[in-house]
Amino acid sequence: MEGRPADDSSLVSRAQRGDEAAYEEIVQLYQQVAFRTAYVITGSAADAEDAAQEGFVRAYRAIGRFRRGAPLRPWLLRIVANEARNRVRSSGRRHQLELRLSEGFRPGDAAQSPEAVAVASDERRRLLAMVSALGEEDRLVIASRYLLELNGEETAAALGIPEGTVKSRLSRALDRLRSRVQEATDA
Amino acid sequence: MPDLEEQLEALSQAIDWPPTPNVRVVLPIHREVSGAARRWVRWVPAMAAAAAILVVATLLAYTPTRDAIAGWLDLHTTIHRTPQLPSPSPHPSGPLGKRLGLGDATTLAQAQSEVAWPIWVPASLGRPDEVYVLVPPYGPSGGEVTLVYAERPGIKVSGQTGVSILITEARGKVNEQFFGKTLGPGTTLENVSVNGHAGWWISGQPHTFVITDANGNPYFGTLRLATNTLVFDDNGTVVRIEGDMTKDQALKIASSI
Repeated sequence: MEGRPADDSSLVSRAQRGDEAAYEEIVQLYQQVAFRTAYVITGSAADAEDAAQEGFVRAYRAIGRFRRGAPLRPWLLRIVANEARNRVRSSGRRHQLELRLSEGFRPGDAAQSPEAVAVASDERRRLLAMVSALGEEDRLVIASRYLLELNGEETAAALGIPEGTVKSRLSRALDRLRSRVQEATDA
Repeated sequence: MPDLEEQLEALSQAIDWPPTPNVRVVLPIHREVSGAARRWVRWVPAMAAAAAILVVATLLAYTPTRDAIAGWLDLHTTIHRTPQLPSPSPHPSGPLGKRLGLGDATTLAQAQSEVAWPIWVPASLGRPDEVYVLVPPYGPSGGEVTLVYAERPGIKVSGQTGVSILITEARGKVNEQFFGKTLGPGTTLENVSVNGHAGWWISGQPHTFVITDANGNPYFGTLRLATNTLVFDDNGTVVRIEGDMTKDQALKIASSI
């Protein structure tokens, strides 16, 4: 989605020396994935915005303690996701995650007929609805890996769980989603 | 038909995410406590920048000199380091609320009906022995709630307050400063984390505590000495836990909120 480790390392070094422009660049690089991660956790764009903002403030305060050479993205996501969870916890409510498909999205297969495109679009819409309707644990791990396209380390950081747990949790979540898809297909 | 994981991967390209707000570093804040510069990250809208400038302007107007500013707690609290503490107000006689400038005695339920935020009550201390509410013009806009714990095991009654623990809560707003603390040379300030929120542990010599009004002007009627204090900002609610307790005791209380 953004950022390259080699660039990160240089930016982090500069930010640790107090270079504001370098930290601004880090924010620019990672604000999208940070905001979307917070959105998946809170289900609210407003809460996600607050969480991302506060997360970047906290990350700036802590950047001096960031271990050089370590991957920056999971570190940032952990901080922002923590903020997002705190907001959910303190407000005592969780918004229903509402994900929609882009109206203008067309898959890359140019040979598909308009009817085939419509069917595929309908299938994606139903699959997205099923993901949104999953239990929280399943929804978060699937959304992190597939919708946010986070790797295992980043997913673990965002969910605040060990990387090994991500694998087992993802496997169970996929099994449950597969069952629901199958039930819907059989119905 | 592609398998489930392929379908999910394809979904990522098709999602209509809410637009990502733009973020940028806006403002360095002068700071002496840790020696490191502290900066704010704010969203781009000009209002945020204007609010930040207003806050700094208010701060500069409020403090005698730039050098008096020792730290900055989020948007709601200021900490000043001075060579000599101002004289606190003499303790008036009468009930606790009057002596400490806590406001009017009330009940937890009544206090909750008067303020907009959910009042935090630490589970480890149980229900407070007394509850006070301080509303404008004497307290900050939005009001302030104080929970009083007269005596609790393991925490001695403070010579400053006459009770074991005071927990004070108020809602902060951008560009309004509600609390100020002035620290003398014998008082230490330490950054801590409270349930994932930034917090500050102020310990050592008693320090002064003052409520400031919405314009940043100190309300000296409540200038008083405070004992060890844990301050943290929970999503806009400033919480202060004050008493003759250790940092671990304070953090334990805070984490049970």
